[in-house]
Amino acid sequence: MDLETQIGRIGVLPYVAIGVVSGLFAAMFGIGGGIVIVPLLILITKMPARMAAATSLATLILTSLMGVIRYSGSGHIDWVAAIVIGTPAILGVLIGIRFQKRLPSEWLILGFGLFVVVIGLKLVFTL
Amino acid sequence: MHLDATTLSLAIACGVAAGLLAGLFGVGGGIIFVPTLVILFSFHQLDAQATSLAAIIPVALIGAWRQNTEHLVYWRGAVIMGIGAAFGVLIGAEFALRLPEATLSRVFGMVLLVVGGEMIISSIRTLKVKRASTTAA
Repeated sequence: MDLETQIGRIGVLPYVAIGVVSGLFAAMFGIGGGIVIVPLLILITKMPARMAAATSLATLILTSLMGVIRYSGSGHIDWVAAIVIGTPAILGVLIGIRFQKRLPSEWLILGFGLFVVVIGLKLVFTL
Repeated sequence: MHLDATTLSLAIACGVAAGLLAGLFGVGGGIIFVPTLVILFSFHQLDAQATSLAAIIPVALIGAWRQNTEHLVYWRGAVIMGIGAAFGVLIGAEFALRLPEATLSRVFGMVLLVVGGEMIISSIRTLKVKRASTTAA
């Protein structure tokens, strides 16, 4: 059984739930997407870490697109700024993926865990 | 937006950093984009969030495309999560109006501490098991 069939076997519901939770958090805290999707994919669907990160990026295409559609015309989006920070980020994402390839998955999960804890501490203590 | 050489180079550095996190961990980079826009360019929070979403699109697109060449993207799950997220945003917007923001952030922060802690513990456990098995062999 290949990986996709194995993951597909758990059904649609966990993915719906993970999506709803990430959308909830995005609307409530302005932090959405990946920081919620990646750990839940690893913990609930038992997806391998690299696949969880890759699939999260694919989900973010949709969610950020929907967000931009929602805000477009409201004057909240500064397109020049988006290009100034978004263009170097394309370079960053390609370097990040190259680096991720060489990293054993335990180290990847450890790194992500530390990253999540730092964000968590920031939210708990800075308001 | 005012652009001089210093802010431009800082913006580029933050962009690269956000992209690195996106590539490594599969987060969009908003966690870096939003504070960058607020602190560096004096954006209002909402403008920063909206602009950050626009900046995430190319990062997510190119990142997913790159990972797809190695068959690492589970597209079916991604689309279902995307649709679920649209509903989550609608529900979340209701909650956000009713609960104080500081309480919300603390609760979310604590959830992240538990989730992050669990990931750290489980990865260290796996590393220990691996190390034990290599020394045994």
